[in-house]
Amino acid sequence: MGDLIAEIEACVPALRRYARALTRNADVADDLVQDCLERALARRGLFRPQGPVRAWLFTILLNLYRNGLRASRRRGETVAIEDMPSEPMTPAAQPGHMALAEIARAIEALPPDQKEALLLVVLEGVSYAEAAGILGIPQGTLMSRLSRARAALRIIGGTSGEPYLRTVK
Amino acid sequence: MTTVGPISRETLLAYADGQLSAAEAETVEAYLAANPEAAAEVALWRRQDDAIRTLFSPAAAEPVPLRLKPARLAAELKMRNRGRWRLAAAAVVLLGLGLGAGWLARPLFERAPAASEMLIASAVNAHRVFSAENRHAVEVASDEEEHLVTWLSNRLETPIGAPDLSPEGFALKGGRLLPGEPQAGGRAAQLMYEDAAGERVTVYITAALPDRKPAYEFTSRDGAAAFYWANEAITCTVVGTLPGERMKAVSQAVYRQLTGGGGIGAGIAGDYLENG
Repeated sequence: MGDLIAEIEACVPALRRYARALTRNADVADDLVQDCLERALARRGLFRPQGPVRAWLFTILLNLYRNGLRASRRRGETVAIEDMPSEPMTPAAQPGHMALAEIARAIEALPPDQKEALLLVVLEGVSYAEAAGILGIPQGTLMSRLSRARAALRIIGGTSGEPYLRTVK
Repeated sequence: MTTVGPISRETLLAYADGQLSAAEAETVEAYLAANPEAAAEVALWRRQDDAIRTLFSPAAAEPVPLRLKPARLAAELKMRNRGRWRLAAAAVVLLGLGLGAGWLARPLFERAPAASEMLIASAVNAHRVFSAENRHAVEVASDEEEHLVTWLSNRLETPIGAPDLSPEGFALKGGRLLPGEPQAGGRAAQLMYEDAAGERVTVYITAALPDRKPAYEFTSRDGAAAFYWANEAITCTVVGTLPGERMKAVSQAVYRQLTGGGGIGAGIAGDYLENG
């Protein structure tokens, strides 16, 4: 049991990162992660996760996120004050800055299923097979979602030859 | 430079997402070197990836708040569960107290069963017990009918007679004295009749109830049919397991003979037996 708790703990940073990217709100994201952890811990006695603990946790997190989406769609969206669009934005200091804000908005505008898939593969570096398992979809569906997400980002994000930013290693 | 055949968009995507093996990736890289358009596309995806990571990776590097520590959450969960057990235990204790109090307070809520119910129950019970007996079905046999009737009348302090059910095919087998509740007519006499097939019918008689009011009831209980009536002189319950019509005929015969075959009460009960 202690091993499982350690394994879960090792996944917390990734869960927070993914939740933050999905929700764009640090508090909402951490609440989501807490719910996810509580659910996982409460179930661990009854339900031994088969396969990697990470996939199990991400599945729980995504289910909670989707339930929350459904609920907020019924309630009407709430927007944290710091997320309110504040126009005009301060002029970009570097060429990359503006592009980042733009791509963040583009990601936010993606349909949820495309956003979930893209972030899982790109941000979390999850393999196609694992991502398809977490999302509960066939791998072909996953790939078409990724492809559509990339195309949408390209249209919104522009196609300038200029890199968004210097690649940081 | 080696020419490479066309590579699917899926493969390009998989390459950009780092999903290909080293050998596969090499093939794609050779293709990209020869196809600047595809290379530009992949480069664009790579920049998208960089942007996404730059935007969101920092969240993973932040110190994890205490409330997201699994060990701590697990401990809290255990506490909460313990609390839940305590609640459940308290609920069980309360339920027990409630049941106990309810049991003790039973006499306050319980309606005393009607005398007719008690009499019918006793009559059916006695029928079941003694009609199953062979050698000891009766206490006094019918060859001492006169003694039987006198004895029972004395014990019940009420004159009774043994109805003649021979037109219905039943002969008196005998009778016995049974204890009874004082508020429900006191002691009881049971007369037993038997037909040629060994089918038995019993007639359960007590002195009149304190209210001496007429009453009629035809009911079935534990698989036996019972016709009960009460008047100012006696209560009588005819019990048997005969088919409906025959049971009715026997009951009518008993009723007629024990009520003298007439009077207002006879009329009502007669109608009751005709229609009910």
